[in-house]
Amino acid sequence: MNRTSILQRSRLYADTRKHLTNKGYLEVETPSIAAGLIPEPAIHVFETSFSSPFHPSSLNWLIPSPEVFMKQLLADGSGSIFQISKCFRNSEQIGTCHNPEFSMLEWYTVDADYRDSISHTEEYISAVAPPGTPEHLLPPFRIESMHNLCFTHAGIDLEKLQTLGKLKAAAARIGLSESNTPETWESLFNRIFLSLVEPDVPQDRPLIITDYPAQIHCLASNKAHSPYKERWELYAGGIELANCYSEETNPDLIEDFFREESAALASRTDVPNAAIPDTPQEYHHLFSNPDKPFPQCSGTALGLDRLLMLLGGYDSIEGVILFPLSATL
Amino acid sequence: MIKAGQIEKGMALLIKGAPFIVVEREFVNPGKGSAFVRAKLKSPSTGRVLRETMKTQDSVEEIIVDDTESQYLYNDGENYHFMNTDTFDQFEIPMASFEDYQYLMKDGETYRITFWGATPLDIIIPYKVIYEVAEAQDGVKGDTVTGATKIIVTETGLNVKVPIFIKQGERILVNTETREYLERVNK
Repeated sequence: MNRTSILQRSRLYADTRKHLTNKGYLEVETPSIAAGLIPEPAIHVFETSFSSPFHPSSLNWLIPSPEVFMKQLLADGSGSIFQISKCFRNSEQIGTCHNPEFSMLEWYTVDADYRDSISHTEEYISAVAPPGTPEHLLPPFRIESMHNLCFTHAGIDLEKLQTLGKLKAAAARIGLSESNTPETWESLFNRIFLSLVEPDVPQDRPLIITDYPAQIHCLASNKAHSPYKERWELYAGGIELANCYSEETNPDLIEDFFREESAALASRTDVPNAAIPDTPQEYHHLFSNPDKPFPQCSGTALGLDRLLMLLGGYDSIEGVILFPLSATL
Repeated sequence: MIKAGQIEKGMALLIKGAPFIVVEREFVNPGKGSAFVRAKLKSPSTGRVLRETMKTQDSVEEIIVDDTESQYLYNDGENYHFMNTDTFDQFEIPMASFEDYQYLMKDGETYRITFWGATPLDIIIPYKVIYEVAEAQDGVKGDTVTGATKIIVTETGLNVKVPIFIKQGERILVNTETREYLERVNK
């Protein structure tokens, strides 16, 4: 038993609750087992089933994030909320940064956007980092747009490469090899980012990468007059630590997202026999209730095991997870 | 042809017509993206390092290689000279591809060499190797600080950080990947 890591986690959770409660957030608890999930074709989920002699049995899914439930609370007028919850993701490589079951801090701030969430996250890290935390994990964060990072590290101007044909030509020019399976703008962009940008991003400070290409579908709102989404990711020590949006509130765009991503999910072939979760019916109605308009808000999800690993100086996430799944494989 | 998802460390791949050894391989899921394989590849002939990110479903050409046991003879500053212990054929491998191996390989020792046809691709150094301490300063008398270390030089010229009590002429076990001291070897 790793007594030190038990103490570190206990302290982190106590400090997290104290900080967010003092800032006016309400702590909530939502289910781990869901009858429907927000469709996300890039995520593989765990399937489970309810069985009983008294009820019809049903297929259910372990949540990959509590977003599907927390947005229902926001729609119902909860105000700013946070949750520390277990999340589950299947089919990822187990190791330094991944365990199929992990702990997430997810918080939503009403009347705020993704810019506001940067300072909220800086305040949060300052509040929970123990004395002696190395500077490269502490605020102030370095803030860089995805556009500038791609320009600096890959030598490409994303705004001029908005079609697949143009991006392919640029990829060939910078020496990226061609894929021999169907390529989308998103997959090619990700290959450029993972080959040339992510390995070289500065690590002397935590780094916020802002304004992700709109071609990467998600429930972040569009950034006006640009091909980007109001979304950022936080990297610390070279590790992806948090993801944040200005949340999309337009019911028509949300309905489009559910329709398109459900179709992409159904046609996914990358992992044989992978579970395809149901999506909640009429979810977009949450955003179109004239009596209760969905609040403008910003949501941030932060990996608590990764944060513990970084703050505690561990080499692997398994140093802070008491019973990692890999031990049973 | 194999799927990129099946790439493993140590494999040899043909990239744009040239052989490369996989030095590192990891699966990465960018935020909101599907899984990719990120590999660091090294050209055995030039030492050039290539970073590739592939979709797990992409196909890549794996090279069928042969392993032979060969004796390391010497290096002439440009090439390592080996002799195949079955055929007694002698061959060279450019030092540029495995520059720091000169401090890990012992003259006269047998190593496993990976070949692609007639082209040597990779030299396999065992994970743990015993070296003799060729040069070491004596620990200062009365120095009892726990964890005190010093740098010694092995008979192959490798610098290793060791505990202060290790003496010249003693034998030590070294992790050849991290170049770290593991333990003293008693006869």
